[in-house]
Amino acid sequence: MATTKLLDIPPQPYTGEKARLTRAYDYLILVLALFLFIGAFHLHVALTVGDWDFWLDWKDRQWWPLVTPLMMITFPAAVQAVLWTNFRLPLGATLCVSCLLIGTWITRIFAYHYWNYFPINMVLPATMMPSALVLDVILMLSNSLTVTSIFGGMSFALLFYPSNWPIFGLFHMPVEYGNAQLTLADVFGFQYIRAGMPEYLRIIERGTLRTYGQYATPLSAFCSALLCTLMYPLWWYLGTWFATIRYVKTI
Amino acid sequence: MFIHIKNYVASIFLALIFLSVAPNNAYAHGEKALEPFIRMRTIQWYDVQWTQASLKVNDEVVVTGKFHVAEDWPRSVPKPDATYLNVAIPGPVFIRTERYLNGQPWVSSAALKLGGDYDFKIVLKARLPGRYHIHPFFNLQDAGAVMGPGHWVEVTGDAATFTNSVKTISGESVDMETYGLVNGISWHVLWIVLGTAWLLWWVRRPLFIPRFKMLKSGNEDALITPLDKTIAKGILVVVPLFVFGAYAMTDSQYPNAIPLQAALDQIEPLPPTVNNGAVNVKMIRTEYRVPVRAMNMVAQIHNYSDQPIRIGAFASANLRFINPSLDQPGKNEEDTLVAAKGLVIDDDKLIQPGETKTVSMAAADALWETEKLDGLFRDADSRMGGLLFLYDPSGKRYIASISTSVIPKFD
Repeated sequence: MATTKLLDIPPQPYTGEKARLTRAYDYLILVLALFLFIGAFHLHVALTVGDWDFWLDWKDRQWWPLVTPLMMITFPAAVQAVLWTNFRLPLGATLCVSCLLIGTWITRIFAYHYWNYFPINMVLPATMMPSALVLDVILMLSNSLTVTSIFGGMSFALLFYPSNWPIFGLFHMPVEYGNAQLTLADVFGFQYIRAGMPEYLRIIERGTLRTYGQYATPLSAFCSALLCTLMYPLWWYLGTWFATIRYVKTI
Repeated sequence: MFIHIKNYVASIFLALIFLSVAPNNAYAHGEKALEPFIRMRTIQWYDVQWTQASLKVNDEVVVTGKFHVAEDWPRSVPKPDATYLNVAIPGPVFIRTERYLNGQPWVSSAALKLGGDYDFKIVLKARLPGRYHIHPFFNLQDAGAVMGPGHWVEVTGDAATFTNSVKTISGESVDMETYGLVNGISWHVLWIVLGTAWLLWWVRRPLFIPRFKMLKSGNEDALITPLDKTIAKGILVVVPLFVFGAYAMTDSQYPNAIPLQAALDQIEPLPPTVNNGAVNVKMIRTEYRVPVRAMNMVAQIHNYSDQPIRIGAFASANLRFINPSLDQPGKNEEDTLVAAKGLVIDDDKLIQPGETKTVSMAAADALWETEKLDGLFRDADSRMGGLLFLYDPSGKRYIASISTSVIPKFD
């Protein structure tokens, strides 16, 4: 009985052929969306987050947690704007991040590992999935752009570093190497040769957070959280602006 | 038209097949790409050697050499305040296990001093079988990559036997090829499963047209069920709790974790080897004769040493022009960047101690053109630099770093 109720899911405005056709349309859009966001969001992240997501030895305390959520809340906000406003589907962020991860993992395995010989552990991507899930449910429960911008945007950024520390924390074990103290991540960067990536190119641990001692991460995370509350509505409106049937009408 | 398209597609297909079955060789690393004046007047390499040309997976090849940082550093190139001695290979087919500058271990970037002399050593451990052209090279911040000479190295054996173990300060031995991989994948899988479950929860029901129609007709409340809301509230509470719980557990598991290290190594130059006061060379005029590909240099040489000396070779941007009349080490006629008879001196006699002599030299070879250095006079900075090697009768070497503006001659 409970199972029957679970499957008896709304909305069911159509029956018969109409229902079958609208469902076929659903699948068509979903497949297109999948490929679109795998390509577009992956490209966006590669161009804006780039090396911070590519390499272990770029995932620092200051720039990585600042840049990554800020650049990754973009597409989720725009897609949420379309899917929530028009369809009340609270899955925009999770869909975008899932597509991103599909694209990222394909690239890391085939381009970085098989094509360029890097061990996969050196190019493990970060995950934004917990942040995306929370962003989706905040939008769904609040049904408010303002609330989602403030609390969703902040959660998206603040959850990033703790979500990823279980994946990357172990690479921060200290090693004595070349008469210096390095992390294991630094050793990866030294040993596995990248001709186009000299050490000095890394934008890590630079900034003026020194006055707060060794607690740079929470400050970076809160700075990112503040910026995400602004970035979220900006991209929400971009999503709304692009999701138009203005041109279709003229065809 | 159709045949054209077919040919076009077939060409692309054949090119892809060629690329996929082509030998795993790299034929160039952009060593000719940088503008000539940068290659000649920044890092001046010499005595670069490789311990072996053939080795097995897990064996080591050691690259050693010396370089002089030119005093006449181009104005348009930022000073070498952050540099990195790198190795041009097609990806990590070798790993770099050790690197030394002036005998000092060196893992980060470093500043170089203009006019400084340095020697280096890089230890490379073979990781993947293949035939590779290896160059040491310098990444110069905001300038580019200044290549050193290259050498072919053949690696045989089985890639699966490669090992790379590193010991942490706490004594744990880490296999760098696999460390943290299962853990990382497991966390990703966990979150992907949860994300996929959330997506499927919504995708299983009619989506776009029915939902749009109901929303527009005012039936919005039916689109989100009480069960949906309950699940959402659960996610809102459980996900952050789980995330911070896992974070705290990881923190307690690795209490000695440190931030990424971002130091700039401080390494002083060696006592002067080049321009060390024994010989002083002042360039008077230099012309590049385009048709015969010859650099004609007039230099005033003062011998401050206590031995008579002769000019043996001129080196610039990895090319070496040898004076064939002088017996000297490093002639290496098989080296494609050596012009074994490329340096002709008009008055090739000993320069006595204390003597000042004006000498005309011609460094002539097609290498100027094939190495794309003849474009110098089209550069924004048409000055040339290089190292002049002089020898006394006992074979002792004196090195002078020279620089001069170059006048092209199109006769």
